[in-house]
Amino acid sequence: MDIKGEQFIPVPRQQVWAALNNIDVLKQAIPGCDSMTRLSDTEIEATVTAKVGPVKATFKGQVTLSDLDPPNGYSIRGEGKGGVAGFAKGGAKVRLTDAPGGTTLQYDVDAAVGGKLAQIGARLIEGTARKLADEFFVAFTKIASDPKE
Amino acid sequence: MYAFDYQRPASVKDAVALSGDETVFLAGGQTLIPTLKQRLRQASVMIDLGAIPELRGITVTADTVTIGAMTCHADVAMSPDVRAAIPGLASLAGQIGDLQVRNCGTLGGSIANNDPAADYPAALVALNAVVHTNTRTLPAEDFFTGMFETALAPGELVVKVVFPKPRRSAFAKFRNPASRYAIAGVFVAETGDGIRVAVIGAGPGVFRIPAMEEVLTKDFSVAALTGIAVDADGLNEDMHATAAYRAHLIGVLAARAVTSLT
Repeated sequence: MDIKGEQFIPVPRQQVWAALNNIDVLKQAIPGCDSMTRLSDTEIEATVTAKVGPVKATFKGQVTLSDLDPPNGYSIRGEGKGGVAGFAKGGAKVRLTDAPGGTTLQYDVDAAVGGKLAQIGARLIEGTARKLADEFFVAFTKIASDPKE
Repeated sequence: MYAFDYQRPASVKDAVALSGDETVFLAGGQTLIPTLKQRLRQASVMIDLGAIPELRGITVTADTVTIGAMTCHADVAMSPDVRAAIPGLASLAGQIGDLQVRNCGTLGGSIANNDPAADYPAALVALNAVVHTNTRTLPAEDFFTGMFETALAPGELVVKVVFPKPRRSAFAKFRNPASRYAIAGVFVAETGDGIRVAVIGAGPGVFRIPAMEEVLTKDFSVAALTGIAVDADGLNEDMHATAAYRAHLIGVLAARAVTSLT
């Protein structure tokens, strides 16, 4: 599954880039993120509780940043295990370009789930991924545009 | 299934008082029980709403049909009063899931879960129904907020739904033959506020199609729908149907609903 989109953020590119690399910002923007710990410059450990309808599962896993090209973009990949619920993995390519009055953030997300979640939720995975991606980028835009950040 | 405590209160007040972190309300259990069995959800306390008389029953007046949250789909489908007052609503209830689902599943459970493929949200939105919770009332369009999301606050319960009687209404659905979930469903109603067309199964949640409502208001006929294309952007896509297929299906189903009323 593949979800593409773009989001206008009314602050300069350098500031958006800084926010993309700030784990406090990422933690606030990722829906259901319980904790985030930086292991190295490019590795982050995360716990995320996903709640969609009747299902609630906590995923523990690692997030890796690659293709770092400051301040133009990077790739972010994560893989988590949710115990009996199954596993989820996904990633996003993020590109930043200047736009009048701010920055355009383009994203290209791919995601996959396996295990029981995939069996039961097959008809809903696409919608769920789209919803979570939307929530993330809307929250990220809001936080990144905040003058305090 | 993980272990949980079980409570069966006798009033809405007691049920709400029992709710807290990680508690779940049990209505008909058609989604909740399979989810618990698969350990995709863990509950501390299950609050069974099955022994609360004020949540059950169907009342029909000159202008409205009121259905208690814990009324099962089969009771709505078979009710002579609902069939006489809003045949489209009785017909929709009779098409939900299978016999077992219709005899356990409830109106309140269906709308509180707000599955994108649930049928009831189409009737609530097209008929401009009003949802009564234990704390407030809100129009259906404000109640459904997105995929599996509603305006309900934690611990808030749906008590009943009040449907204004339409002049006429019909529901047409194309269901997956195995799961019987709607691949798409369209509810068309001529209400006191004009024609309303609501779609389920095709998008992340229930939505209306203003372009169809507009042409049907001028001319309530299948011919009027010709040339109204539904945008596939944002519609659901899965192994059963592409977004474009669903967009086309909405047009077909709207025409079927209109045909059954003319």
